[in-house]
Amino acid sequence: MSTKTPSEADILRPINNTSKKYFIGLGLAGGAFAIFLAMWAYQLSVGLVITGLSDWGSGGGVTWGVYIGAFIWWVGIAHGGIILSAAVRLLGMDRYMPVARLAELLTIAGLSAAGFYILVHMGRPDRMVTSVLGNYHITVHNSPLVWDVTVITAYFVLTATYLLLTLRYDVTRLRDDLPGYFEPVYKMLTLGYTEKEDPVVERMVWWLALAIIIMAPLLLHGGVIPWLFALIPTMPGWFGAIQGPQFLTIALTSAIAGVILVSYAFRWAYEWEHIITDDVFRGLTLWLGFFALLFLWLQLQQIIGGVYAAPMDQSTVVSAMLGHPIYFGALSVVAAVLAYTFAQAIRPSLFTKKRSVAAAVAALLATLFEKVLFVVEGLMYPTFGLYAAVPGDYWPSLIEMFSVVGTIGMVAAFFMVVAKVVPVVELHAIEHLREGGHDHATDGGEEVDR
Amino acid sequence: MSTEDTFHPLGEEWEGELEEMLDETEYDTDLGLEMARDAMRVTKGELSEAEFHERYHEDVLEEFDVDDRPTEAAWEEAKEADDEGLVERLADVDSEQERREVMKKMGAGAAAVGLGAWGTADNMAGEPEEPASVAAAQEDDDDGTQWGMAIDLEHCDGCLSCVVACSQENNLDMGVNWMYIFHYEDEDAGNDPKMMVRPCQHCSDAPCAKVCPTTARHVRNSDGLVLTDYDVCIGCRYCQVACPYGVNYFQWDEPDVPMADLDTDHVYDANGDWVDSRAPRGVMSKCTMCPTRQDGGYGDDNRGTTACEQACPPGIIHFGDLNDPESDPNQFLDEAREDPEKPSSFRLLEDVGTNPNIVYVGHEPGPNADQISAEEARDRGLGTAVSYEEIGLVDNRKTGNDEHDGLDGGTIGGGLSP
Ligand code: SF4
Ligand code: SF4
Ligand code: SF4
Repeated sequence: MSTKTPSEADILRPINNTSKKYFIGLGLAGGAFAIFLAMWAYQLSVGLVITGLSDWGSGGGVTWGVYIGAFIWWVGIAHGGIILSAAVRLLGMDRYMPVARLAELLTIAGLSAAGFYILVHMGRPDRMVTSVLGNYHITVHNSPLVWDVTVITAYFVLTATYLLLTLRYDVTRLRDDLPGYFEPVYKMLTLGYTEKEDPVVERMVWWLALAIIIMAPLLLHGGVIPWLFALIPTMPGWFGAIQGPQFLTIALTSAIAGVILVSYAFRWAYEWEHIITDDVFRGLTLWLGFFALLFLWLQLQQIIGGVYAAPMDQSTVVSAMLGHPIYFGALSVVAAVLAYTFAQAIRPSLFTKKRSVAAAVAALLATLFEKVLFVVEGLMYPTFGLYAAVPGDYWPSLIEMFSVVGTIGMVAAFFMVVAKVVPVVELHAIEHLREGGHDHATDGGEEVDR
Repeated sequence: MSTEDTFHPLGEEWEGELEEMLDETEYDTDLGLEMARDAMRVTKGELSEAEFHERYHEDVLEEFDVDDRPTEAAWEEAKEADDEGLVERLADVDSEQERREVMKKMGAGAAAVGLGAWGTADNMAGEPEEPASVAAAQEDDDDGTQWGMAIDLEHCDGCLSCVVACSQENNLDMGVNWMYIFHYEDEDAGNDPKMMVRPCQHCSDAPCAKVCPTTARHVRNSDGLVLTDYDVCIGCRYCQVACPYGVNYFQWDEPDVPMADLDTDHVYDANGDWVDSRAPRGVMSKCTMCPTRQDGGYGDDNRGTTACEQACPPGIIHFGDLNDPESDPNQFLDEAREDPEKPSSFRLLEDVGTNPNIVYVGHEPGPNADQISAEEARDRGLGTAVSYEEIGLVDNRKTGNDEHDGLDGGTIGGGLSP
């Protein structure tokens, strides 16, 4: 472990130093996003025909594909903020404090990517305001898609509020060392700030964290996102109560993986070994394994239920899924992640950060593929199977595939830009580390094993 | 979009007369027509009386110096008092005597409102009968019109005439088969080829309408048709996902027939919504049960008919009002039920709770039923069976056929498919 003492200068480093590598990185990320925007513009001009989608029924295709799968995936990744906030603000697991803000930023970025996917998926996104908001008072009673939009918006607003509140503290104290050209931004951020608000904000943040954490299982990935599918009785691959818990476990797996990647990237770029310590990665890796276990457990429930004595339509879709190389691949990868995380817990010498990063990348890929497959297979095996064209086939077009690259670019660029404006590690975290928060073993180091 | 269209169910002519009548009075024509338009919405239950009155209270006062109709405040008051019952009170306004008084006070403007309100959906097919009270019109629609079909599967030729007729009438793209015919076999029921005729089922509890995030997919109050408002749909395709029967066709690219070539009588329904003919790019379509015909756009002779029904050589599609015991579908069903030789009637996937309005008489496809080609059906003795290709149509919209590119032709990188 490093002997360097964390300082304000450390967390200001991203803001005040910009390297050539940074510009290259930003160029790549921004470029990927820009290319996708151009592709989207093309899609808008000729129609969704350029995708690999088609009508289900006599047309023998699927009408939802990569766009919807990736939408769910991003919402899932956005749960990173929830988990870390829960750990730090509610359970007092202070060791994760240095990555809490990064995780919260991941929430904002992930939700933005998901929101963007909703637009990309639509035939007429220009009508979003008039048609959706204009009829909101009627449709909110019935349409799971409207519930989705509502909850995602609420979640976004809550997290943004939360972030802004905690930023006020930091920006006020670091103001003198922040660059002058962003002065208007800082002025806005700290408008009306007095030290008196600190305890109030602390309490507000606690309540906000609680609200978000309650929302996650009940409404977000444990609720309305799976309901988009789980409430459709004639698509047996989707229907059923297990989708709520199943979606949540997949979301949490990908979310932790996302936090590991972002944390690693920042630690690498700004030499934050003494801030985002190895210990943080060990802890996160264990969490990753734990969620992967839950993921596999619920898959097992579905497989057994689907092959033992299931109704015909359900056993058809489950056996089709089992026979699909992507399904098998995704589950094997998750199982490998699980094996690694538990092995390194038992034998700490097996742990390296690079291995954890590899496990995180694997988990992210597995969850992305699983999500897309879930959407597609569900649509391919409907209860009404008289059509010769059903199940049809689906292979995403280049544009659909590149949309994933484009949104990853969008999220990466978001982080790179934000890191130039505000500290992405909380001042509290530095203060805490300096006060000797190093004694993790006694400081909640065991929670993850419970 | 639809400002040029008639809002009145009795047609453009009637509306024109109203307009003239209003023009002759000293009162504001536009206001009168606008009110009439909204009064129609009240009768359809899209607008509450209170909202309606609130909306025009000011204008009416200004124009006629008096407005005796209840405002929202009065509505609330009435609800609270409720001694003689709100419904009765509102219904009272429509009593003959009261109406005359109101007309005297308010002049022709109010008359137009009254006339608008009479044209309730229920008497669309005939002349205006008794002025239906606003309150009554808002009540449950159970005994109003419910368009639907009874289809005699036993006598279907598999000739696809209905598919062609629908495609022509609605200017559909190749592969967009709002009406779709299956030739199929059912190993549990002998070797004979069987037929399934599949328009949209116009479900009374339509899951497609329930999930729609915009109200574009809606069940029309006046007659139970399930329609898509092409001007509102955002193309999210959730309706297609939620429909158990696979009857929806999204407009993935620019439609083959441009808007200018559509028959203008065959585009907007009586509500002025664009719900008929092929969809524009980016929105959802499906069998409509020809609402412009039902609303009189094709003349009175064509009310209560559909293009597919008229084109069917053996006449096995019986379209009509399922709530009317004397209607064509009900008569056919009565006969079929009395005939001990006939199999019993069924609806598709009845147990999923969609309450479809297509009733079939004939073989119900079992769990092992499989679609077969028309050639196969011919081989097995159905000489009249015709394939989509033979009749110049496309069966699989995704792959297309030798003559017509399918959607795959437009896919970028589609050739990557393994
Ligand atoms: S058949 Fe499908 S599209 Fe038609 S009304 Fe029923 S659910 Fe809607
Ligand atoms: S595609 Fe259109 S009609 Fe269908 S659910 Fe979406 S908005 Fe509604
Ligand atoms: S009822 Fe009309 S829209 Fe439906 S299949 Fe028949 S012709 Fe086509």
